[in-house]
Amino acid sequence: MSFLPAAGVVMILVGVASYYATRSLHGFSTFSGANVAIGLALLLVGAVAQARRFRGFTGAESRRVVLRWTAILAGALALVVGIDVAARGITSRIDLTVDREYTLSPQTVALCQKLATLPGDKIEIVFFEDALLAKDVRLLVAAYADKCPAIETRDASRKAPPEAARDLYTTTATTVIACRGDLCDPVGYPSERNITSALLRLSRDRAIRVYFTVGHGEIDLASESDVGYAAVAALLRNQGMEPQALVGPAASEVPADADLVVIGAPERDLLPEELAVLERYLARGGRLLVLAGAGQHSNVYSELLPRWGLELGDGVVLDQAASPLLKDPTPVNLLVHLFAPYDPVTRNLSQRTMLLLPRARPVALGRKPTPDDRLEVAAFASQRAWVSQNLDRALAGAETAPPDGVAPGQVAVVATGRYGRGSAAAPAEARIVLIGDRDFAQNRLLESLYNRDLLLNAVRWLGSDEQGIALSDKGWTPNQDPLTLQQTVAYFYFLAFALPETLLLLGIFAWWRQRA
Amino acid sequence: MIRRLWALARKELRQLFASPIAYVVLTVYVALTGIYFFQHLVSYNQLLFVYQSEGLTAGGFDQGTVPSQINVLNEVFVPSADDFGLFLLVVLPLVTMRVFAEERANGTDELLLTSGLRPFEVALAKHGVTYFFVLLLLAGSAIYPAVVVLRAGLGFEHLVALYSGQLLYGCAVASIGLACSAFTSSQIVAAVLGYAIPFVLLDFAWLSNTVSESAAALLREVALLSHYGSFARGVIELRHVVYFAGITALGWLASVASLELSRAR
Repeated sequence: MSFLPAAGVVMILVGVASYYATRSLHGFSTFSGANVAIGLALLLVGAVAQARRFRGFTGAESRRVVLRWTAILAGALALVVGIDVAARGITSRIDLTVDREYTLSPQTVALCQKLATLPGDKIEIVFFEDALLAKDVRLLVAAYADKCPAIETRDASRKAPPEAARDLYTTTATTVIACRGDLCDPVGYPSERNITSALLRLSRDRAIRVYFTVGHGEIDLASESDVGYAAVAALLRNQGMEPQALVGPAASEVPADADLVVIGAPERDLLPEELAVLERYLARGGRLLVLAGAGQHSNVYSELLPRWGLELGDGVVLDQAASPLLKDPTPVNLLVHLFAPYDPVTRNLSQRTMLLLPRARPVALGRKPTPDDRLEVAAFASQRAWVSQNLDRALAGAETAPPDGVAPGQVAVVATGRYGRGSAAAPAEARIVLIGDRDFAQNRLLESLYNRDLLLNAVRWLGSDEQGIALSDKGWTPNQDPLTLQQTVAYFYFLAFALPETLLLLGIFAWWRQRA
Repeated sequence: MIRRLWALARKELRQLFASPIAYVVLTVYVALTGIYFFQHLVSYNQLLFVYQSEGLTAGGFDQGTVPSQINVLNEVFVPSADDFGLFLLVVLPLVTMRVFAEERANGTDELLLTSGLRPFEVALAKHGVTYFFVLLLLAGSAIYPAVVVLRAGLGFEHLVALYSGQLLYGCAVASIGLACSAFTSSQIVAAVLGYAIPFVLLDFAWLSNTVSESAAALLREVALLSHYGSFARGVIELRHVVYFAGITALGWLASVASLELSRAR
């Protein structure tokens, strides 16, 4: 190699290396550009000079060989490029992950087929290739592009989101946004469950109507303070639902278009007529979500719920296993990770997808109204939990261990009930979800751990939108501690020292033999 | 033909392992991969410790309740695979530089080409032995990941996907290095080119900011790294296999062309 091409190679390498070293400061700098350009020019000049001197060109036979092999190489290059381009359109892949993470589930595939017949605007999946999780999610988005021809999939930059998504809240982790016409839905953590849920929401013809009772000290959906509940209303709207107020005395019946009614931790009694309205609603096969806060008293808890077999205990649940997730570490901040495996409200929650339920009340199952009704506890505090009746002391964090005579054990905090009701002509299933906590849905806590999932699952189940919770995240549960520290260090010594040492000794032996 | 190929391959193998360079390369690669894998494992354990420590984070998770996004695959395997790919790029030209260039410098290439062996057979044997060496490198570096894969419950299949990608990538890089070696009699020049071409091909991010969107997409398609990532995640995609196989085949064909030219001269 003469001087010019060698200098050219060095200059190109320096140019590329300087780009990588300084790209966070300023993209492709003049220095890098000049090096690459001059390097390429030197290479070209050097190559031409070499070619002129190339001995192969002197004879006719050599020239023929050169021409033939140049043509063969050019043809092979074209063939490889052609095959590569053709292969881009082929999405054949072998998914060897333990839980087939990048293979869409039958539910998603069935939904994709259904979407093909959907009238109106097409659904579009926008993939942000510069998002934090882009590398993790690209294969999953490619699986949607392959299996869902009814969906348009396109790459975009986070700096240029779809028009309809510009005002939506997104983070650097927002990697996928699903849109249909003017409606967009940023997918939180971009798993198959969440992307498919977004597709379901966008493909739904009618929004779920959620009525919230008001006028008895219930949670305030308009309050944006830390302890307010505006986030609940925003979340429901974002999920394509319609939250509405149900003004008690004014309503002689629950509106016919109500998919469910939420009684959000009332602090006062409801009027007897209001209770009667709710009773009639349930008897017709209505759906009810009740939240309850520690220390609250209302006839909803003491009269309505017991008639439907669900009871709410006084006191507050404390748990020594509860870690200090909030500023003041006390056992009152429950970390709930024990769930009934088949209950629809907690189906996708697990030991690794916990809830944070501060100041929770115990719930219990009472007597079934009819033998065919089904009552179930859906979530428990851990085996180290107990119920304190001394609210002031417990809420102040002064009670850190069970008092003498109180044995710790699992305490139920969420329960569900389903009841065959309606008339013989129009049978219906009434449903109730009782969550012994209201703080979990406050603005400051709704996005903590998996609180959002609990609320959404409850609303979806009550609103007969089971499809939305039927998909759970692929459940590969890795052993997160594959090696102990001692094993890690032992393997390290073997692989980073002992094995290389052996190889090096073999090398020295080979060198010694060569010299000998 | 098989017998001729086997005889030449044996000669190449003897030549490869008679010199200390193969052992030095093996040593460097195994040590580097071991150290970096260990570092990722230690960082992961520290992260796990932080998650499990009460009071250190917003909470502290009980043993076995750390969010599943924190796992060996995301924290150890995917970053390690990227490192391993770079290390292959660093060590392979040291092996490939001598394969053809040494013969040419010593004048033994003429003996080889007049011995009845056809150029494509010579290239096939030399390429085959080098790919076998790539396999040895990977086997040496696979012990640690294999132990962790099996103990973490990732499954043997995932390891197969990971190392299929490494093997295809390694063969493609080696093939480029061998083609460079075939066109020169200087081992230094072969090494410099063997580093330069894969290094420039590795990732065109440096160039994609200055060209149009469609040209940037094309460059991404050509870049080695954009075809390498999915294997570490446990997925073997046909288009990536085609890409690496295509580069490997082109490298081999270029070596054959160089030998044909030498013979014609």
